Amino acid sequence: MRRVGFTSTIPLEVLVAAGAVPVDLNNIFITNPQSNDYIEEAELAGFPRNVCGWIKGIYGAVVASGVTEMIAVTEGDCSYTKALMEVLSLQGVRTYPFAYPGGREPELLRAEIEKLMAAFGVGWSEVHAAKARLDAIRLKVKEIDRLTWEENRVTGAENHYYQVCTSDMNGDAEAFEAEVDTFLARAKERTPMQQQLRLAYLGVPPIISGLYQFVETQNARVVFNETQRQFAMPYGCPDLVEQYRAYTYPYDIFHRLADIKKELAARRIDGVIHYVQSFCFRQIEDMVLRRELSLPILTLEGDKPADVDARTKIRVEGFLEMLQERQ
Amino acid sequence: MTNETMNDTQKLSIGIDLGSRKAKFALLSGTEILRLQDMDTISFYKRYGRIDNDELCLDLLGSGIFSAEELDQARITVTGYGRNSINLHGARVISEIRAHVAGALFQTGLTDFTMLDMGGQDTKVAQVVSGKLADFVMNDKCAASSGRYLENMAAVLEVPLEELSRHAEEPIALDATCGIFGESELIGQILRGHPVSRLCAGVNLTLVKRVMPMLKRFPSKTLVITGGVALNGAMVSLLKEQCRMEVLVPHHPQHNGAIGCAALA
Repeated sequence: MRRVGFTSTIPLEVLVAAGAVPVDLNNIFITNPQSNDYIEEAELAGFPRNVCGWIKGIYGAVVASGVTEMIAVTEGDCSYTKALMEVLSLQGVRTYPFAYPGGREPELLRAEIEKLMAAFGVGWSEVHAAKARLDAIRLKVKEIDRLTWEENRVTGAENHYYQVCTSDMNGDAEAFEAEVDTFLARAKERTPMQQQLRLAYLGVPPIISGLYQFVETQNARVVFNETQRQFAMPYGCPDLVEQYRAYTYPYDIFHRLADIKKELAARRIDGVIHYVQSFCFRQIEDMVLRRELSLPILTLEGDKPADVDARTKIRVEGFLEMLQERQ
Repeated sequence: MTNETMNDTQKLSIGIDLGSRKAKFALLSGTEILRLQDMDTISFYKRYGRIDNDELCLDLLGSGIFSAEELDQARITVTGYGRNSINLHGARVISEIRAHVAGALFQTGLTDFTMLDMGGQDTKVAQVVSGKLADFVMNDKCAASSGRYLENMAAVLEVPLEELSRHAEEPIALDATCGIFGESELIGQILRGHPVSRLCAGVNLTLVKRVMPMLKRFPSKTLVITGGVALNGAMVSLLKEQCRMEVLVPHHPQHNGAIGCAALA
């Protein structure tokens, strides 16, 4: 089957309608046990050391996985993606640019989606059918999220995993839905967890591993994963264009903030972990979050895939102690 | 001190701060500091430390820092780098930020201040409001604003740290982001014939520039500076000029974390 990679969440409905296997290149990179080799390979090829690890990881993942077609999100994500697309196109990878319009203009977004549909030879009826199929799975993943914050039956890592997988449904929607069904049946029967502190995780998914588990050893739990939840499209929009306008990740920080503030209040959050990637422009947005949010914020920075390190642990522990004292 | 003189308010407590460069020790009786000591961390671990069943065992008696009687009676509290990967046998382990804030509260008697702790690798800035930690930041990924940087630069200049710590006048601008490239930048400035005193001042000023963005986050009336770098008088005076806060260095800045541990015991 035709496998099509992408660099960040795109209207998945188009690829599903085209009968292609969607491949979120971030997931291919980060779930590979040798993910650091991908980064090394990219640096050997010439990527500078001070470039985002995700970009280098995606490069390595494309080269290693043999993906020959990919959609590059050229507006709404970072400009590194543009250069990545150029480099990979020189190596024979067929690339399709996709741009989220900066002003969230519906007509521009519709034109971008239709351009993608034309590239993959599908019309609106197939895309709508694909949306109905995907929305059914998204609804179930939304229930996992609700079980996380409202019923306390799901861990922060599980919440992260199921939501982050919705960007490509693990490349196999049927198998992923079955996995979700099994998990939901199990999670509903669990005894609620009792951690004292409720945390929000803001920012891109972590390149480091073990953070959620470490937090839970310290009497705290992440009950809101901002970006991962966005990947799962929890809006219930019947219109596809409106759905990708409601999606916050590719647009400005203030659009994101409206969603963040609503969820922080609803989920009774005690403190915020803002994860930033080394060399990412989103590090600058930390200033805005600190000005706009009244909750205590711990900013963590990750560079390459690794288990959560001693320094990060020290900072997380200090932060959680501070939150406990405030209670 | 004899057993007869000890009562509930004068309980013995030991605080240990295992830093990246120095292991610091404090013995308190109630609120009185009885003893402060420090040892090079590496040689301390080599001589008196071992890992047993994932627990760090320190031969505190063998180190000669505390008597058998003191170790028997005192409650021991420890903090320091790597504390979350190893448990110290028989001791309570607390976070570094908590230890340092407790030390600053104990040593200054203030309840509202900004604390700047500059150690061998770590730089922490904390805001304390009504005696409680309100927020903090720590350096991450880069330790070019640390004591180790000062040590390296002093070595390049072939001056002892005490000499480096004396000069704040007419600093030569040093701009390298990297603490290692900073060494070659300094060598270039030596060749230009600048006097060592101005180069020392330049090194001290780079440290100030690196911590200022962290300090700006937490303005207070008073800035309490702790950690070994607080012993650098020139750096402190340069910081005073820039931060517009009243600056206070407690009596024992380097032992502040150990004192905080003992105070919380």
